[in-house]
Amino acid sequence: MTILEIVHEASFAEVALSADECLKCNVCNTVCPVARVTDLFPGPKYVGPQAQRFRIATLLPPQGQSTPVVASPDATVDWCSGCGMCTTACPADVKIAEMNSRARAEMKAGRRPQLRDWLLGQTDLVGRLGVAFAPLANWTLRNRLIRMLIEWTIGIHRRAPLPVFAGRTLRSRLPRVLPAADTEPPPDRAVVLFHGCAANYYEPHVAMAAIEVLRRNGFETIAPEQVCCGLPFISNGLYSRARSKARRNLGVLADYARRGYRIVGTSTSCTHTLKAEYREMLDVDDEDAHAVAAATWDICEFLLDLHEHGRLDTGFGRLEETLPYHAPCQLRSHGIGLPALDLFALVPGLSAIDMDHDCCGVAGTYGLKKEKYDIAMAVGDPLFRRVRATDSARAASDSETCRWQIERATDRPVKHPIEILAAAYAAAGESPAATG
Amino acid sequence: MPSSDVVVVGAGLAGMTAAIALADAGARVDVVARGHAATHWMSGGLDVAAPRGSVSSANGLARLASYPGHPYAFLHRDVRPAIDWLRAILATEGLTFAGDLDQPLRTVPTSIGATRRASLLPTAQAGALEPWKPDERLVVCGIAGFKDFWPGAIAASLERPWVWGGTTDAGDRRSPAAVEALVVELPGIAGRRNLTALHLARVFDDPAWRVEAFGVIAAALRRRGPGPGRIALPAVLGLADHGAAFDDAVRALPLIPFEVPLISPSVPGLRLFEALRAGLRRRGGRISVGEEVVRVETAGRRVTAVVAAAAARDRVFRTSGVVLATGGIAGGGLIGRADGTLVEPLLGLPVENPGAGEWLAPDPFDPAGHRLEAAGIRTDAALHPVDGRGRVAFANVAIAGSLLAGQRYLTERCGDGVAVASGRRAAAIFALEGARPPTERVKAGAGA
Repeated sequence: MTILEIVHEASFAEVALSADECLKCNVCNTVCPVARVTDLFPGPKYVGPQAQRFRIATLLPPQGQSTPVVASPDATVDWCSGCGMCTTACPADVKIAEMNSRARAEMKAGRRPQLRDWLLGQTDLVGRLGVAFAPLANWTLRNRLIRMLIEWTIGIHRRAPLPVFAGRTLRSRLPRVLPAADTEPPPDRAVVLFHGCAANYYEPHVAMAAIEVLRRNGFETIAPEQVCCGLPFISNGLYSRARSKARRNLGVLADYARRGYRIVGTSTSCTHTLKAEYREMLDVDDEDAHAVAAATWDICEFLLDLHEHGRLDTGFGRLEETLPYHAPCQLRSHGIGLPALDLFALVPGLSAIDMDHDCCGVAGTYGLKKEKYDIAMAVGDPLFRRVRATDSARAASDSETCRWQIERATDRPVKHPIEILAAAYAAAGESPAATG
Repeated sequence: MPSSDVVVVGAGLAGMTAAIALADAGARVDVVARGHAATHWMSGGLDVAAPRGSVSSANGLARLASYPGHPYAFLHRDVRPAIDWLRAILATEGLTFAGDLDQPLRTVPTSIGATRRASLLPTAQAGALEPWKPDERLVVCGIAGFKDFWPGAIAASLERPWVWGGTTDAGDRRSPAAVEALVVELPGIAGRRNLTALHLARVFDDPAWRVEAFGVIAAALRRRGPGPGRIALPAVLGLADHGAAFDDAVRALPLIPFEVPLISPSVPGLRLFEALRAGLRRRGGRISVGEEVVRVETAGRRVTAVVAAAAARDRVFRTSGVVLATGGIAGGGLIGRADGTLVEPLLGLPVENPGAGEWLAPDPFDPAGHRLEAAGIRTDAALHPVDGRGRVAFANVAIAGSLLAGQRYLTERCGDGVAVASGRRAAAIFALEGARPPTERVKAGAGA
């Protein structure tokens, strides 16, 4: 790659060359939840913009024989959980987390992936098999002895919070609730649902709640064919596999985006992948990617936007409860504030409390791994204490992996905000026919 | 419908002060910042005014107030009440200060073995403010494995009385009778050679560990023999539990302890930011860090919305007012162009720039400072930005902090006083004007 090519490749320049803006102020190190709890990770500044000089050097023309081109030999970047706090804190706009993700992928490129990392990325395959054999699969994953075996052989920690497979996939339930494909309502009366793997294989009720809330606000739901967004592959450094997922989704979604439909998702990490990571991580930077990114909304972001335009049905019933709320790290990367809290404020009686903690620790699949489980639990520990201290029946969080992590650590159910809102509508006593 | 009454752009001392004061007055306030600001780099003290020749902050303040064009020319009466008000708020969040504007400015040691003048410091640093008694010694105590506080070099420099400013007019020494270096190996981290201030601060948050650590330091001091004196420690004595950690140090150590602030990340600065943030949240204010404001929407001479870059699409904050606290050249509030001019990138405000074309001063260490220091945005007394002819450029925008023209915060050491006084005045002005424009809000709502 020549310097001109580097400069012209916008997404590469935006991320990789942003290291040049680093002031070495260490602000990123002050907010890193992983470096807070372990010495294994030297912190985002060191593995990010500092190590980046060596990585960039491999791409530039040699400066003479005295400067051999070598990559950074340091592999500690793999301890980065990818939570993204460093990027949000940086006063100089260095894309630190994105840089680290790319470095991890670079490290793993051309090598056969570890079985575990590959498996964690295979959410569709695992999901389909799991749902097909749900009773057996769920029993297996609850069995302590088998979990120990899994830890030894594959490297997924025996106490890691694995979700429970649903009896049926969301997609198999949709035909009963959604309009037929040949009667798609126009974009001002329908949205496209990107349900993600979590809602399809583990938590269909979350998508059902979203469909119900959307319908109450005058929007039908369209759920075209889709695959995993690819984020689990991105987090595990398997970019080429992630790219093929991206291509398949964009192939379907771009057409809807161009026709003016908004793409709404209940998984805040999937929606962030559609919005930003195809471009910033995978260099998928074509017109399809831009159209889909611009059309994608997190469900709470979408509802709050309706409210700001005076279009949200605010006829919520009373929910007398205290609700601890955790804003996922991925949500912060959206840069949309904390829309769930703004929506909760519209529900009479509901007292949502922001737990004000950076990361629950699991960060997607990071905390499931044998060698990273203890780090993840230590990262989330202050959050777990705060949730327990609230003496509430349940908690809420926008991301599925956060929900599973907090549920497992605090022994209380954790809901998606959309479930809380659906319950608030139901409490008003005039909800449309309850589903799921 | 406006989503905020006032949006504060920038999360430094000025922006956070304005936001707290606004939230205190019942306004819906959003702080939006592209990242963490200078709080994470600063010493944690409050520099109000220490121009050359001033004997106290009050005296320095009066002097700066007489400079034409200095922000203190119209803010000086605000400074004292604003500082007292902010101190009370920070104390509620567990961060206390010592000293005041009237006591003489003292020379206090820095982590490179130089000194600086101060009169208002966090309690943990304030042990350096007292005049040195004739028999008092100073022990500079480092922690083995921690390289950002090098006691040998610091002590060697501080042994020279002239570094402290020699003697007072009354003939008293400003320096201790003797300066010694001490390095201690602390339990559990003795073998490490890559410690950071942040790491140490978090270890000091552990009550059991720090009792043991202070025991080690106390024993080392006792081996040095008796005698009155003080001990300078790196500013790492706790982060979340700092108040209790410092109390433990006072109890355990035979000498009077004080912290010396370090290079970034500054632990005292982090404590200050966390206390400000807690004070804001307690009052219902909101803060979004990591969202860079990229443009504003205007109607006539009013800003109607502040727009922040976000993943995939911009985030729009509809608002009735804006506090612009984006900092000076160092903070990104002013940007230097290749032709030597300075621009204010967000609103395109006219920049007053006495140093245009003089970026390269003949003497980089000129005691008078660099002319560019005084560059910034000119305002009226209500902090509304004005153009070259004194006309208000935006009627619902207030400028706060180091973006204000006419101050030389490096040479005059006035940055924190200007930040706090202007931040609070900006809030007061919006509170006054906020009493008037419900019509404004209804209009904006009808448009939505």
